[in-house]
Amino acid sequence: MSAALVNVDDGDALEPTLQSILDQRSLRWIFVGGKGGVGKTTTSCSLAIQLARVRRSVLLISTDPAHNLSDAFSQKFGKEARLVDGFDNLSAMEIDPNGSIQDLLAGQGEGGDAADMGGMGGMMQDLAFAIPGIDEAMSFAEVLKQVKSLSYETIIFDTAPTGHTLRFLQFPSVLEKALAKVSQLSNQYGPLLNGFLGSNGTLPNGQNLSEMMEKLETLRATISEVNTQFKDERLTTFVCVCIPEFLSLYETERMIQELASYGIDTHSIVVNQLLFPRAGSDCEQCTARRRMQKKYLEQIEELYDEFNVVKMPLLVEEVRGKERLERFSEMLVRPFVPPS
Amino acid sequence: MPSLLVVIFVVELAVQLVNTIGATTINNLIWRLYLSIPTPLAKQFTDQRQKQKEYLAVRHDLNATSSQDEFAKWAKLQRQHDKLLEELKLKKSALEAARTRFDRYLTAVRLVSTRGAQWLLPMWYGKVPMFWLPYGWFPYYVEWFASFPRAPLGSVSIAVWQGACTSILTLVMNTVVGVLGLVAAGRESRRQRQKQKQPVPAGAGNGESKKEL
Repeated sequence: MSAALVNVDDGDALEPTLQSILDQRSLRWIFVGGKGGVGKTTTSCSLAIQLARVRRSVLLISTDPAHNLSDAFSQKFGKEARLVDGFDNLSAMEIDPNGSIQDLLAGQGEGGDAADMGGMGGMMQDLAFAIPGIDEAMSFAEVLKQVKSLSYETIIFDTAPTGHTLRFLQFPSVLEKALAKVSQLSNQYGPLLNGFLGSNGTLPNGQNLSEMMEKLETLRATISEVNTQFKDERLTTFVCVCIPEFLSLYETERMIQELASYGIDTHSIVVNQLLFPRAGSDCEQCTARRRMQKKYLEQIEELYDEFNVVKMPLLVEEVRGKERLERFSEMLVRPFVPPS
Repeated sequence: MPSLLVVIFVVELAVQLVNTIGATTINNLIWRLYLSIPTPLAKQFTDQRQKQKEYLAVRHDLNATSSQDEFAKWAKLQRQHDKLLEELKLKKSALEAARTRFDRYLTAVRLVSTRGAQWLLPMWYGKVPMFWLPYGWFPYYVEWFASFPRAPLGSVSIAVWQGACTSILTLVMNTVVGVLGLVAAGRESRRQRQKQKQPVPAGAGNGESKKEL
């Protein structure tokens, strides 16, 4: 058993496929990220299709405000998980990171006096938006809550094309510091404030000071739980998607460093849109581009020797619809052999 | 215990020296001396300097490497660069804290041993005569002034002795600083004159070489 495991480990150090992700049964969260336009959605859809073949149930979630899942599968998805046509264990959903925080804030004011919402509600909102990455953190917390009840085996995130996708992972420490300060203040000036605010310490919109603190505290607890899950390499991995061009590579390198600083595991890079012109091709642009791509591909192989570098070709057709995605996804597990 | 006269003089001399040389300069000097002793702190400083050198070398390499042509090399250097920078920053703040602590300690010691002594000694020994004036040589008001404020009449009080020391030392210091300044200025002007002279032989040399041609 252990010998077999070692063998697999030795093999996948250089294996140019995502087979290691398919084999790692403990994986629960898989992120797919990269610069805009490199094929994140295509890759995440393909990966989801491959995973659906070996897992009981798979959920594909897009956190990108400009949702592309619907386009990729030619099927409308919404905030609720919905089965993808033609699959019985692959579902997809699209969530809006900004929407969820707005919902949450709207829900918060309900108990209070609607006329007074301007003051404290606005302050709460400002406070909430001032913390970097809180919107994403909230949406992840929301998703986590939903997903827990749904019991999917693996969840794939198609992230937004920003360099700070997972910036919210610093969030608990920021909030912890802020909370410590606030609670210290409220301990010191609590009696004074209560004197101002009335006997039961209600704020203008009917909220209680201690109640608000409690809410922040639960928020922090939720997010720190997300954190521990995402920082566990048995549960979570990050798949970087890039194209063999300078800027994309640069972003990828930065992202990998950033992920390393957050303690998130990443061991796969998908190099997309590789050109393989036919031998006799007289397309000047293609051969020139092929040369450039070759140069960067060599650099990638030199730099990321501990990664699974998956090479995906640029197709002559748009990768949309179930059949094309399935064909494309084959190349994630069986390396593409360029026509010589 | 040396004579009080000498002690007062030494304290005043120290105050004058600190004023003339400057407290910061003295602190720096003592700091450097302290670092030259093989302490753990000094070792840390050597390490820091080593790291800094390493960092500069990496940065030089990084600047010399084209990120577009040799991305792998460039990225590796960048990683190294970031790591070193992080380490340097951490260490720097720790060492700066050490320096601040040292400075604070030194300043406290200096203040107690100069300004403190300057104030405490006259208070403590206010009634002790430094030395007696020869009887009958000076009129009453001079004797009264010399023994001001609390020493017995006919003696020189500690406060007056202190004042005398201060004024003499100020004079001497000013003279020394002035003379040193003059000497330095003289040397400077001589050097400049030499510089002005130099182009002439250089020109002559050129002429000779031309002749040789």
